Amino acid sequence: MTAQALTRARLTRVPGVAVALILLCVVFAAANPGFASPANIANILTQSTILLMLALPMTLIIMTEGLDLSIGAVLTLASIALAMTAISTGSPALGLLAALGVGACFGLANGVLVAVFDIPPFITTLGTLGIAQGLSLVVTDGQSVVGIPRSIELIYSGSLAGIPYPILFAALAYLVTHVLLYRTRFGTYVFALGGNREALKVAGISVRGMLIRVYMFGGLMAGFAALLLTARLNSAHPTAGIGMEFDSIAAIAVGGTSFERGNGWLFGTLLGVVTIGVLRNGLNLMAVPSSTQVACIGALVILALFIDGLRGEA
Amino acid sequence: MGGGKPAASRRECGASPWGIERVSSVPVLELRGISKEFPGVKALNDVSFAIDAGEVHMLVGENGAGKSTLMKILCGAYRADRGTFFHKGQEVAMHGPADARKFGVAVIFQEFTLVPYLDIAQNIFLGREFSSTLPGLIDRSRIHAEAKRVLDSIGFDIDPRTPVHKLGVAQQQMVEIAKALSQNARILVMDEPTAALSDRETELLFAMIERLKRDGVGIIYISHRLSEVFALGDRITVMRDGRRIASLLPGETTPDKLVTLMVGREVDATYTRPDRPLPGKVVLEVKNLSATTGFSDVSLTVRAGEIVGLCGLVGSGRTEVARAIFGADRASAGEIRLNGEPIGSSPEDSVRRAVALIPESRKAQGLALARSVGDNIVLAGLRKLFPSRIYIPRRATKAARSVIDKLRIATPSPRRPVSALSGGNQQKVVIGKWLNANAQFYIFDEPTRGIDVGAKAEIFRLIDNLVHNGAGVLMISSEQIEIVHICDRAYVMRAGRIAGELSRDELTEANIVRLGMHQ
Repeated sequence: MTAQALTRARLTRVPGVAVALILLCVVFAAANPGFASPANIANILTQSTILLMLALPMTLIIMTEGLDLSIGAVLTLASIALAMTAISTGSPALGLLAALGVGACFGLANGVLVAVFDIPPFITTLGTLGIAQGLSLVVTDGQSVVGIPRSIELIYSGSLAGIPYPILFAALAYLVTHVLLYRTRFGTYVFALGGNREALKVAGISVRGMLIRVYMFGGLMAGFAALLLTARLNSAHPTAGIGMEFDSIAAIAVGGTSFERGNGWLFGTLLGVVTIGVLRNGLNLMAVPSSTQVACIGALVILALFIDGLRGEA
Repeated sequence: MGGGKPAASRRECGASPWGIERVSSVPVLELRGISKEFPGVKALNDVSFAIDAGEVHMLVGENGAGKSTLMKILCGAYRADRGTFFHKGQEVAMHGPADARKFGVAVIFQEFTLVPYLDIAQNIFLGREFSSTLPGLIDRSRIHAEAKRVLDSIGFDIDPRTPVHKLGVAQQQMVEIAKALSQNARILVMDEPTAALSDRETELLFAMIERLKRDGVGIIYISHRLSEVFALGDRITVMRDGRRIASLLPGETTPDKLVTLMVGREVDATYTRPDRPLPGKVVLEVKNLSATTGFSDVSLTVRAGEIVGLCGLVGSGRTEVARAIFGADRASAGEIRLNGEPIGSSPEDSVRRAVALIPESRKAQGLALARSVGDNIVLAGLRKLFPSRIYIPRRATKAARSVIDKLRIATPSPRRPVSALSGGNQQKVVIGKWLNANAQFYIFDEPTRGIDVGAKAEIFRLIDNLVHNGAGVLMISSEQIEIVHICDRAYVMRAGRIAGELSRDELTEANIVRLGMHQ
């Protein structure tokens, strides 16, 4: 292969999401000088952390040819549980435990309904989305939960050696998920759940057990993310997580994970999350309203998949 | 892959990792007097079968002869109703797949059990990953090293880190074989392993089979290709109608004798073909039709008042041709003419032009199972019944009643759900729905599958009535005896092409099998 052909081959292997990310950065930097400032970049990354913590487990769920629509609503409910527990006990740790408990319960419910009762993931998680969202509104009476201990807020605003805490948390979450997916039996079987369940059965692995674990992982990560969300808002709000499932599924689609045959790419999800963060931030700087941003994200998803599709044929 | 060289030159490449087993007179595994019955079918009747270490045992027979059932019993997927198992001369119990694995039986099915986005090594050791010294993690380098060792031992030169989705069918098959051998398989069952391979890939597979033989692995090889049977087999077992007909050495038989053994059935008197008037004008003409679904250069004609058979082995492209003629799949080349006019390529077009397809899978493709008998009957004829495009329930019920009477469908009312009917009556509903559409050309794909003998005769009478009234019929059936007794003519397909045409006088089971087998 000539050097030129080799370069071309490498170029075509650059995923669509990287192209989209670079293009967006260039356009926004040109349109607004403030975009490329270190402070704004840190801002983008910090704001992407909660989405990343949801998109990571969602990637695994989608790799099993499943879906978790409830993840945003579970995030909300976990955040409320955290705030209420922390306020009444004065202990942020107990608050986190409550949030993890809510996440685990919904993860288990999703997993059991999908794996044992064979209800399609779309229907199952649409139902639990409604339940979690409804509960959030009921227990808060539609009001924000305020007055949480000051120490929780520091989790979002504090930093270590100049790196904001949320970024450290998100980095840890990414690392854990990466090791889980690529270095453990659990991760290997996630590939098989979407790729060939028969192969798992023949190998004597419980398909149901593995599916339940995948959805549990999603619930627990939503519980962790609730800590960041509550700290960021310095309160819990019953509508704070609405639309987060849309953003995380969009990030995964943009990141090149296919919804078939267990073809997932965790780093692509990271890039997808940052791309959506960049898009929202850049549009904010251009004073584009939030509702229009959602439309832009939708267009981005279709564009990214369209580009990937074109290159796949080439 | 390193194949191609003569197998003998590899002997010095090192001993097999599983140790060379002495070929002894005691078979590794022996089945005696195996019987298996499914509701209404005696799938296996007192079959005995043995496999020696280091032999290739070919298993041949027509579709439905019982080969697959026997293999499923061997790997523990089914339990035999009667019969005993012997492992190296000892009587043993066979309760399920775990027992089969214990005796070293592994099956390479035509559907692979591989995970596309894991690499070769991870697939080989799926469910048996090596643990790392770090708790909870897997030792990837050990998995890759062990996989490399297994792949080397079968002469498959490939990086075990390659993801499986990047492999071709032949390479995936090699991975399956490596997977089986890594689990210490001593008996390898291969179900038509060359069905999807090119000539070159087939050669490589054969080289590997030679290598496995030398390592003392016993291979049970199911094949429809006579050339393979003689090239590869150390022993040949012929099955027919759930019985073992013969076990022979390749030297003591010929391809012709083998075909006779496979067919050798008494003429069945259930179906008698009534005299038919001479066929009329050409209804359907297919010229050089090809499609990516799996056939090419198919030409055939069907005249009015004539039943034409389309036969060949399962997978030879019969159904695909039927679907393309109907317009359910798009053809890539060639032309289809109905009554001299070229027809478009959509089912809607076919229905408008009165082509009827009675599909292979009654429940999945032929019927709206949740709806009533009446709804199903009027479905294909909606356009004819209601030219104004407005549905008139009274007219629909009347039309349905007339079909129910004409075909003698056993249902108390047109409103009964079609799922409540027996198989034979359901099939009549499928046919009835086309009567309403006034179809002039019918394609029947396996019209008698899952139907009892009495209903079969009725279905045939129905088909006969259709041609008497001037329709043309193309009939696909795996039951060669049906083709022989019902059809006026037949085309035999092999590997996606028409292998030959048989006139009324040439139409015998032996001729169908001879044309359909890979020579």
